[in-house]
Amino acid sequence: MPIKLMAASRRRPGLTRAEYFRYIEHYHGTVARLERFKIEKYIQNHVIDGAFGVLSDADGHKNKVADRDAVVELHFDSFRDMLATLEPEGVTTSRANQDGKFFADEPTNIIVMAEETELPVAKPKPDFNPGLGEPGNGALKVMQFIMRRPDVFPQDFHRLWRQAHDEALAASPYANDMFRKIVVSKRSRVNDNDAAARAHFKMVDPPVYDLVVSFILDSMEQVGAFRQYFDAVTASALEFADWSESFFLYVRQVRIIDDAPPKE
Amino acid sequence: MPDMTKPEWAAQKTYDENRAFSKTKATRPSLTPDEEKRPFAKYYYDEIPQPDPVHYATMDEPMDPADAFYPEDINRLLDLPALEAGVEIGWCNLPNGAGYIANRIHYPEFTADMVDWWFAWHPLEDLRYRIWYPPQHAGIMLSPIDRARILDDSVPDREKNWGVVHNVTENCDNGYENIDIAFRSPADMGFDLEKFGEVAATMAGGMGWSVSVDKDDESITAPAIMCHMLYDAPEGGLIHRTRFWMGYRFNEEAKPELCLPPGVSVPVEAVQGLARHNVKEYTRWREFLPRIYAELGPGMYC
Repeated sequence: MPIKLMAASRRRPGLTRAEYFRYIEHYHGTVARLERFKIEKYIQNHVIDGAFGVLSDADGHKNKVADRDAVVELHFDSFRDMLATLEPEGVTTSRANQDGKFFADEPTNIIVMAEETELPVAKPKPDFNPGLGEPGNGALKVMQFIMRRPDVFPQDFHRLWRQAHDEALAASPYANDMFRKIVVSKRSRVNDNDAAARAHFKMVDPPVYDLVVSFILDSMEQVGAFRQYFDAVTASALEFADWSESFFLYVRQVRIIDDAPPKE
Repeated sequence: MPDMTKPEWAAQKTYDENRAFSKTKATRPSLTPDEEKRPFAKYYYDEIPQPDPVHYATMDEPMDPADAFYPEDINRLLDLPALEAGVEIGWCNLPNGAGYIANRIHYPEFTADMVDWWFAWHPLEDLRYRIWYPPQHAGIMLSPIDRARILDDSVPDREKNWGVVHNVTENCDNGYENIDIAFRSPADMGFDLEKFGEVAATMAGGMGWSVSVDKDDESITAPAIMCHMLYDAPEGGLIHRTRFWMGYRFNEEAKPELCLPPGVSVPVEAVQGLARHNVKEYTRWREFLPRIYAELGPGMYC
């Protein structure tokens, strides 16, 4: 899929998590299906848990928690299709755009326009079917938002992350055994012209994340595999990421629009 | 461990330092005392040759878009009879809004080795880029990993730039911009390698993202695909054919993709400006590359 728009948001004041999840899945999701425009695929990721920064961050660090409740992933065949959906021709404001204020704390949205690459894993299928999640796809996804250090060139950031990732996986036998799929979402430079997305998602001065890595595991029971990997990758001697400004989320995937869902 | 005191290594700045310094570079400051001592500093003070008036005037008006082609058809650069029968110098907006530029220039004294050396040698220091075209070239930077590749003796000159990004500060007749040019191999440009080997002497190409050095929240970061093809000339030397497709990028699948919003065209001033800049900078290159290569080539250090 050539490009996707990821938006990590938190719920608006006054909503419980249950109300928020019900709203975005059943109401907002329905709006998106009715008003699909050029969306090729739409996945909602409902946050179960997560963490911001690293244990060594001082008490005074401004980010205490990973305050995100969902990450939506909107896939498009092209950048033009993305724009045609965010700013549909002949429509002043789309229903999806108008609907955001009823569930999201819009100024704090974080977006990443990204291109996906899948990395190889040692064991794409479990030894037995745990009966959880979708066919051919595990039940738990971990989404790691990694911020580039400002002194590091973007091209080196991606190279150094890949080296650190490979070394971390090699040092993490449980993770190596349990990651069923790894998807790298690399921020595209088209993201530099994100005025339409900022208007759609009503963001104010959003932080920039150059990389989001998604890990698929069978179930929450194996999430310790990610923690093993996380400890290894953040301990890397390679200096490329601002781990204090990075965060990860444990999420449950909800397919809103998908004409070709995964098969066994 | 390399000698980090050598100018080729000592030139390294961090990404944020270079971005901040690009505004100063864009003022084209006088050379520093250290730069004045470099063996190539004298080229900065050359009298810059002016383009052939007839050639330059070809860029006054747009060409017919029907005579252009798209980056998906990049292998047309390997069809010499068709190229010679078509429009070789000109610019226009394509019907989809993209900007198209074509240029052709003959370099009687060039060899492919000179070209490969130049594209690897010049990004190592600001001044190396500035001497190419002092009126409009303000500076250049490599990342530490890219610098190490360029300075790696085991990598042939022709391949040094494959995957390397040149972070240049340049004025293409529309004000100073920071342009990040990601160079690619002929295969990654989409060329049929068998035919490429038969037809082309060498190539430098890739994809650039440009944005004003005075970038603000409303600035547009604009993509372009760039291809400089060099061919052996029957009369001696090399023939250089340039193509730009402004508004296009390569996606992660290495396919050209138009990135313009529907109904939007690359501004005419940007297309014509780059076309004119291209004629000027390569007119200068034609005259000085054989001289500087004879003096400083073929090594990377000096």
